[in-house]
Amino acid sequence: MADKCKKLTGKYKRRIVKLKRKHHHPLVHHIHKKHNISYKTLLYMKEYGPKSHISHVIIRESLKILILASIISSVGGVGLNSIQNKLFTILPLIILLPALNSMIGSYGAIVSSKFTMMLYLGKIRGTSAGNSPKTYFFPFLKNENLHKLFFTILCIAIISAVYMSLLSAGIAYIKGFEISLGLILQILEISLISVIILVSLIFTISVSVGLWIYRKKEDPNNFLIPIATSIGDLGSMCIFSLLVFLLF
Amino acid sequence: MHLLSHDFREILGAELVSVTGGLFAGLLLASYIDKLALIPGLLIFLPGFLEMKGSISGSLSSRLSSGMFLGIVKPKFHRSRVLRGNVIASFFLVVILSLILGSIAYLVSSFVLGINAPQIILVALIAGVISNLIEIPLTVATTFWLFRKGHDPNNIMGPYVTTLGDIVSIVALLIGILVV
Repeated sequence: MADKCKKLTGKYKRRIVKLKRKHHHPLVHHIHKKHNISYKTLLYMKEYGPKSHISHVIIRESLKILILASIISSVGGVGLNSIQNKLFTILPLIILLPALNSMIGSYGAIVSSKFTMMLYLGKIRGTSAGNSPKTYFFPFLKNENLHKLFFTILCIAIISAVYMSLLSAGIAYIKGFEISLGLILQILEISLISVIILVSLIFTISVSVGLWIYRKKEDPNNFLIPIATSIGDLGSMCIFSLLVFLLF
Repeated sequence: MHLLSHDFREILGAELVSVTGGLFAGLLLASYIDKLALIPGLLIFLPGFLEMKGSISGSLSSRLSSGMFLGIVKPKFHRSRVLRGNVIASFFLVVILSLILGSIAYLVSSFVLGINAPQIILVALIAGVISNLIEIPLTVATTFWLFRKGHDPNNIMGPYVTTLGDIVSIVALLIGILVV
């Protein structure tokens, strides 16, 4: 790939580096066709080429979405803060918290990336022709590949939830916290209800928003993962807080 | 449904490792629970801080992987403007976002809960800087090492950085609390 970059003449190199981001598509398309250099390589050259200030480009492009994600996650934190006293006195819950938080976020990333890949590979029809209004935004009602993905993720989520509940109770017991069967069942209940609701929510959001972005001729990869992980984080903290409030 | 499909085994394996790391981070939190209670608003700050570290390190690893696959970044520590730019950007992003998260936690604590505790902003800043000093070199070194060993870092670094981020962030947060 690096050898292919060398094929670019100085004239093209200078032009592509000077172009503004919103204007660079036609030329990139032309160079891609003429020199058979992938769009990914050209985009990387444009973003991090000799004339760009790399750290400025990264900070400028990442900051907005990261601030939005931080605000969304802080809303989940407000939910947690409201059950602070219960959380600090029931040791298995505080042990469970970071694992639950990162687990739901990673399902958001997995579902989003796999769904986008299915769209690009044509395993899911991206166009609306012939779809009923119900299956326009919710194609998983019909599509076998999406059924398979949903049940795979749900099974993994349930296994992981049981694993982390039992392990958190075990760790708390080793640390000297008194554990009863009732408490173990309550912790299992919290983690299972949280993951089942959140996997379904993340799946619905990823599929419907991903399809909407794809139909607008944009790449869902750029938007879907931050959206799905932030909503997953917010949802996990809110549902976790609500269940702790109701059950303890 | 193919329960033992390649995808199922790969995702389950990565998730179980990630969950175990998360539980270890939770154990650290539980061990210093008396210290956590000292700083009001810390639980408002915590989910955002954990999420932010994973996102920034994940993006850093992903950008470096793309650069290595394209032949623009060499998989070793050397004087490269792409590597330097990525490291500087990640460092400043964590510092800026730690300050923002700390300020949100402070504002919510003081206006909603009625507790005036500005030290949360300082805790956030110290935790952000300390976690950066540990996590960024580890992320870069692991990405390079995986690439040199012939693996695709994109497949492995996702769960790795979230797990590493959880543990390092909580250690850094506890150091921040002890300092303040």
